[in-house]
Amino acid sequence: MRVSLASRVRGSAVYRSIVRHGTTATNRNRSLVVFENLFLHVHPVKVREKTLRFTHTFWLGGITLACAFILFVGGIPLMFYYHPSVPQAYRDMKELQYVVDNGVFLRNLHRWAAHAMVLVAVLHMLRVFYHRAYRPPRQFNWVIGVLLLLATLLLSYTGYLLPWDQLSLWGVSVGTSMVKEAPFIGERIRFYLLGGNVVSENALLRFYVLHCVVLPVALLLLVSVHVWRVRKDGGVQGPAGAERKNEP
Amino acid sequence: MPLRRLFAVSSLLFLVTLAVSPVKNALRPYRFIQREFRDLGMSRATSRKAMELYANRPVAIQQIWLRDFEDRVDRCTTCHLGVADAAMRGAPEPFRLHPATFHTPGGFERIGCTACHGGEGLATLQDDAHGVAQENIAPMTPATFIQSGCGRCHLSATVPDAPTLSRGRALMERAGCYSCHAVRGHDAYRSEAPPLDAIAIKTGAVWLRGWLEDPRAVDPNATMPNFHLGADDILALSHYMFGRPAPDALARRVAAAAGEPLGDPATGRRLFSESRCISCHTVDGKGNGSAPELGTIASAATRGWLIAFLRDPHAFNPRTRMPRYNFSDGDVRDIVAYFDDELRDFDAPADVLEPLRVNQTLAAKGATLFRNAGCGSCHASGPASETEKFGPDLDGIGDRRAASLDFGRRRDLPQTLTSWLVAKIESPRSFADGLRMPSYGFDADEQRAIVTALLAHGAQAVPEKLRHSATQPVAMIPGGRVGELFSRYRCLSCHQIGNRGGDTSTAPLTFEGSKVNEEWLVDYLLLPSSLRPILPERMPILKMSREEASLLADTFEKFYVDPSIVEDPFAGRAESDRDAAEGERLYTTLGCRGCHIIGMAGGYYGPTLTEAARRLKPGWVFHFLKNPQGWRGDIRCPNYALPDTDALRLTAYLGTLGSSRDAAAPATGKESTR
Amino acid sequence: MSVPIKIVESNDPMADPWRVAIVRPDSRPSARATEDRFVMTFPHLIVREVILFQLVLTVLSLAAIFFDAPLLGIANPLETPNPAKAPWYFLGLQELLHYFPPVVAGVLMPTLAVIALVVIPYARINLVAGPLWANASAKKAIALGAAVALVALLFGAFACWPIVVPTLALGIAMFATRGWERATSVRRLLWEVTLPEWIMTWFVIIATLLTVIGTYFRGPGWSWVWPWENAPRG
Repeated sequence: MRVSLASRVRGSAVYRSIVRHGTTATNRNRSLVVFENLFLHVHPVKVREKTLRFTHTFWLGGITLACAFILFVGGIPLMFYYHPSVPQAYRDMKELQYVVDNGVFLRNLHRWAAHAMVLVAVLHMLRVFYHRAYRPPRQFNWVIGVLLLLATLLLSYTGYLLPWDQLSLWGVSVGTSMVKEAPFIGERIRFYLLGGNVVSENALLRFYVLHCVVLPVALLLLVSVHVWRVRKDGGVQGPAGAERKNEP
Repeated sequence: MPLRRLFAVSSLLFLVTLAVSPVKNALRPYRFIQREFRDLGMSRATSRKAMELYANRPVAIQQIWLRDFEDRVDRCTTCHLGVADAAMRGAPEPFRLHPATFHTPGGFERIGCTACHGGEGLATLQDDAHGVAQENIAPMTPATFIQSGCGRCHLSATVPDAPTLSRGRALMERAGCYSCHAVRGHDAYRSEAPPLDAIAIKTGAVWLRGWLEDPRAVDPNATMPNFHLGADDILALSHYMFGRPAPDALARRVAAAAGEPLGDPATGRRLFSESRCISCHTVDGKGNGSAPELGTIASAATRGWLIAFLRDPHAFNPRTRMPRYNFSDGDVRDIVAYFDDELRDFDAPADVLEPLRVNQTLAAKGATLFRNAGCGSCHASGPASETEKFGPDLDGIGDRRAASLDFGRRRDLPQTLTSWLVAKIESPRSFADGLRMPSYGFDADEQRAIVTALLAHGAQAVPEKLRHSATQPVAMIPGGRVGELFSRYRCLSCHQIGNRGGDTSTAPLTFEGSKVNEEWLVDYLLLPSSLRPILPERMPILKMSREEASLLADTFEKFYVDPSIVEDPFAGRAESDRDAAEGERLYTTLGCRGCHIIGMAGGYYGPTLTEAARRLKPGWVFHFLKNPQGWRGDIRCPNYALPDTDALRLTAYLGTLGSSRDAAAPATGKESTR
Repeated sequence: MSVPIKIVESNDPMADPWRVAIVRPDSRPSARATEDRFVMTFPHLIVREVILFQLVLTVLSLAAIFFDAPLLGIANPLETPNPAKAPWYFLGLQELLHYFPPVVAGVLMPTLAVIALVVIPYARINLVAGPLWANASAKKAIALGAAVALVALLFGAFACWPIVVPTLALGIAMFATRGWERATSVRRLLWEVTLPEWIMTWFVIIATLLTVIGTYFRGPGWSWVWPWENAPRG
């Protein structure tokens, strides 16, 4: 039998030093693929077949995660072209639009992915609720989910200010003026958020730091815990089905 | 397995969708345009080297980056590649060479493109750059209003090479726009509208009603616009104005004058023409037009008022441009008799000058109306800073976005700033009910000029370095007795000194002392003669005393001089430069006779040179001949680029003219030929 | 028969546990044998995840290609757009502001909503609830009806119709399902809806309605406009 190029490559020492599992279609190799890989080994080696169905969870958590990934990866090239100062920020938006290769696409993608993520996160939450997948032992994961929703909203909100156009300025002004209505601490919170009493360069810089460093790190950590707990609680929980009537 | 197929499909869609943006990027229009330009350039190139230059141009975004000028970046030259390329004269757009102006095509690196043309300099796509239907971009200035771009940096009232802009600015000054609308730089503006406190002693109710209905119908030279007042409003306003008590002093003068005997119309007519009133006024449409039409003046103002006014116009209106003539009492009676005799409206009703019996209620209503209709903005009695501007600020109007403008009922207009402005000026109240801006009756050209001037008002002031104000020196107007004379005779109504004054006379007085001989000037002030036959406007005979004339001439001689004009141009020059005969030959060769009169022969266009020696100083003549346009930008005397020798000889020749009158040769010329 | 059991606990990790569980013959745990089939994660789950990611990115990329993100003029603190609108996910809150003072609409209600969300897994009612009318009693019906009426009146006092109308509508729907225990398909499904699920549904409908109104039906001065009157939105 002719030895194909692919199998020659796969048999080489270099390849075998990188990819540690075999290539034959055995369950052992399939297991190795998952648990020898840093990124994949958050999955169990085997999953319940019923969780693969579309209607089990509508993949909403996965879609949210995909959006988050797109936002992370797409946000970084955008950061290369953006200065969080006034009025340079607005200028940079125009430069992205007119001069940067694929700038229009990057920006649009980031924006629509952001809107999509908020929407899908809410849908995911509703799905979990209506399937009652928050019941013990999954209660705390639900709380983490709520925190994730808040983080998502805050990410969207802090990002909203960054283009520094009329929509940004006034949208954020309206929002932060709601914050100051909180009794006792409202004014203080608003002052810390904005770095001042009005939405200005200071607010832009703070929101930029929140949007690009603080909140993404928080989101990443929370998502990690969230997914880890899903794994530890036995995988995604879909419609309760027959167990519905006698859960603990 | 369906899953595998699904995977194949989703992978394919994935790759195709992600490829769209890079492909669009690679196919950006400017790349094709630049290749087109390369081909065009190569076909037009006249040498191999030029061809190679075109061939080797890289395809890339071109930009002009002005760090000092608001950090502007103009990328227009990415497509407009030939704007500075002489080989592209007459090429098809977008490659054509830019039309030549003072700043183009040599000034792009300093000024860029958007400073004059507007639009979005950062953009690299045509629609984005030209600002077509974009929410956040101000569109390019349409070609008809392009001179507004000049006005952004050139802030003076008159801008050379920008006639539409200059005209617009002049129209706005004359029409009094700045009385109601605040504009940066025109905070101290006062309109020429007269004070209204003496209406009751000046005119009658019938005349006032006609005036308020439509000022232009009564006087075509009127700068007051039409306020579209209803009959009730006019009635109320009339009662208000007739109810205002006239100042005592003026009322007494008018009453006294009304009682004086009648004068002689024939003498009056002669005096009228000697006084050259039509240098500013018009009679039946003939005349300058910068002052009111006098054809029906006797039906507009009472006899007593006219007499009192002519004796001392400044008492009635301290800001009038009319000089105070030295008429005798009898002179004035005669002139007014002439008015009564000929300059009246023969179809006017008998009671046209009858005053009104004032009704207090209506007068109160009229007072409110006076305020609400904005009359007080122009007819203000206090200083400019105290008057509240009746209309909205016009600062930044040139950069207003069309989306922020209220088009009201005018759905027929395209949604652009320029069409809004034109429509607003043409018929201000057509946009909605309740608007208060009056109608000025500008024609299409005037509208265009005014909109051009308005579009020059940008949202931000241009950086100091790039701003260009007039190069004329600031006018120095003396105080004291001389200042009084300047004020009494209103020299600046017609003449210019420095950056102030009117345009009626073609003779700027800034350096008059360097130009004319003092003796001649005294004689001229006493009895002005016609120096330039072609002009209808003449200096009026003000009948000033010799003492006044000497004082004025002395002032000019001493202070209004240009240090760069030498007294004696012949000093240190060869004897042959003083050859007057050679100068005469030059005079003929150069064709000066075509425009200038000497004796009985010559053309009418320029000033007469018959008495040139008596009038003009040689130093000035030499200076003028070397560069006529340096004296005044729009002078038509051609610049022959004369070498010094020729100019001196011509000066010498002119220095002989008029010496036949005087036994003595011209004073300065004689001294220098020692 | 009971045998005394001695339980010895040890902290020694090296000790061998002797017995982990004692199963008495008379007490067998009844474990439901669930018939869950397991498959290998790779390839079954992984390939689905990859396809999901590709589809998500494709859809979003198509949106990015055909629809541009808005960019208005540069931020100008001196020029307030009228109306000044928050991003869409806060427009529901902004609409609430129209009816209630800022402390309530801007701080109190969102905080309560978040707290309510967080508490969901810990509230007993969410864990044990059966269908709304499963243990129907007259008292329950009256209590429910009173609650609905109270909420409607409370919000009606502030003229907050976007809340009052769905409240009443859902109240009617709830009572309508009362007799559908023995009905089939859709009606049966509706009968099975639990009280917490009704409440969440109420919340979602109101939030959506408020957001839609805030987005499309509010114009200058937060006045009511019909979306077709305002050609470009916002």
